[in-house]
Amino acid sequence: MSWWVWVGVAVLGGVGACGRFLLDSVLAARAAGDFPVGTLTVNASGALLLGLLTGLAVQGNLLVLTGTATLGSYTTFSTWMLETHRLAEDGESRMAIANIVVSLAVGIGAAALGRLIGAHV
Amino acid sequence: MSAERQSCGEDCLKLTTYFGERDRTPNGLLADELADIYGAHELQTSVLLRGAEGFGRKQHARTDRLLTLSEDLPVVSVAVDGRERIESVLQSVREIKRGGLITLERARLLSGEIGEVTLPQELTESAKLTVYVGRGGRTQGTPPFVAVCDLLHRRGIAGATALLGVDGTRSGRRVRARFFAGNGQVPAVVVAVGSGERIARVLPELGELLSEPLLTLERVQLCKRDGELLASPHELPGTDEHGMPLWQKLTVYTSHAATHEGRPLHMELVRRLRASGAAGATALRGVWGFHGEHAPHGDRLLQVRRHVPVVTVAIDTPERTARSFQIIDELTCEHGLITSEIIPVAVGAA
Repeated sequence: MSWWVWVGVAVLGGVGACGRFLLDSVLAARAAGDFPVGTLTVNASGALLLGLLTGLAVQGNLLVLTGTATLGSYTTFSTWMLETHRLAEDGESRMAIANIVVSLAVGIGAAALGRLIGAHV
Repeated sequence: MSAERQSCGEDCLKLTTYFGERDRTPNGLLADELADIYGAHELQTSVLLRGAEGFGRKQHARTDRLLTLSEDLPVVSVAVDGRERIESVLQSVREIKRGGLITLERARLLSGEIGEVTLPQELTESAKLTVYVGRGGRTQGTPPFVAVCDLLHRRGIAGATALLGVDGTRSGRRVRARFFAGNGQVPAVVVAVGSGERIARVLPELGELLSEPLLTLERVQLCKRDGELLASPHELPGTDEHGMPLWQKLTVYTSHAATHEGRPLHMELVRRLRASGAAGATALRGVWGFHGEHAPHGDRLLQVRRHVPVVTVAIDTPERTARSFQIIDELTCEHGLITSEIIPVAVGAA
């Protein structure tokens, strides 16, 4: 990889993280319930976009920059896990299970949908 | 200090500031600046407590349940010393351009050797005892806050909660919690509520138990205990005899495991108070404690669900406090200890 790709990964990684932070703050502050809607939205939209990229057959450096760097830092597995554990700590086990099941279903669905759209554009 | 003065304690003031962890002043973080001021004035004791959830006048919800909302949690900074020193500190604090709420409360301070104590009239029925200890060290083989909670439980005090500080002063020296450090000297507090007589009887024992005992006694009204309504908060006029606005503080002591319709009780309390337009509320998670018959406890290893005690504080005008109490009363039909206190001085954002 050439040096400008490394720089691009660093910059776009930062952009992805900022995007997540902004979107999650807005959604979490508005959501009334306990369900981590912000993290789910971020992960599902990230999965959709990554699906779209692969559906469009984006490759090489462009995939590294958009997929790995931008979407990789935009989506978050660790926050999903942490917030699920916090729900369990609070005794909201149904909500914790729902957070896992719904995120998986919506996430895989979004990725598949993204690929489908990408392949047909 | 003479034994006579010690017998009923020394008049002192408690300066409490409620704000956000990330609130900034032109010089840096407000939390740091307050701790710097208390350290520079070598206050007897001060402690910075980090909240688990809450909201303030701007009604922004903060919670450590969601990662993004936990980057600016509510914090409470408490400073205790004699009247003159707190008044001079207050001067410096009021000069800072800041958000949040400052309150000033009267208390009695006991330190050093604590002998037999005769309580003043206003404290005999029920009282709030705050014991200022270090986070670490050993007292009878356990951390001091555990030893204090155990003793208070054995002596039939209604409830006690141990809260760990992250910064503060102890005997005039600034002590701040750090990563990769023992943090044993960092302040912690045990807040207990119970019958004044029982508390008075346990004071000499506390004095013997701790190496450098420092504690305060405050006037408090017990409103509700384990679902049993004892008294509604005193109805106060909006202003005192000098025309200054009066404020009231409601405190709810619950367990993290207590629920209301499946949700942790303290979260539901904060949510409902926010929805009702209350001025603010802060929930502080303890590490150890008890209320009622249950033996003192904290969290256990390998146990997912948390059982630590939680203290939820709501400060408001007397009028809105009456409304908040109705909400709290409705939610605490089985669990919790609720107290009401008068706040003689409260200053909003500068």
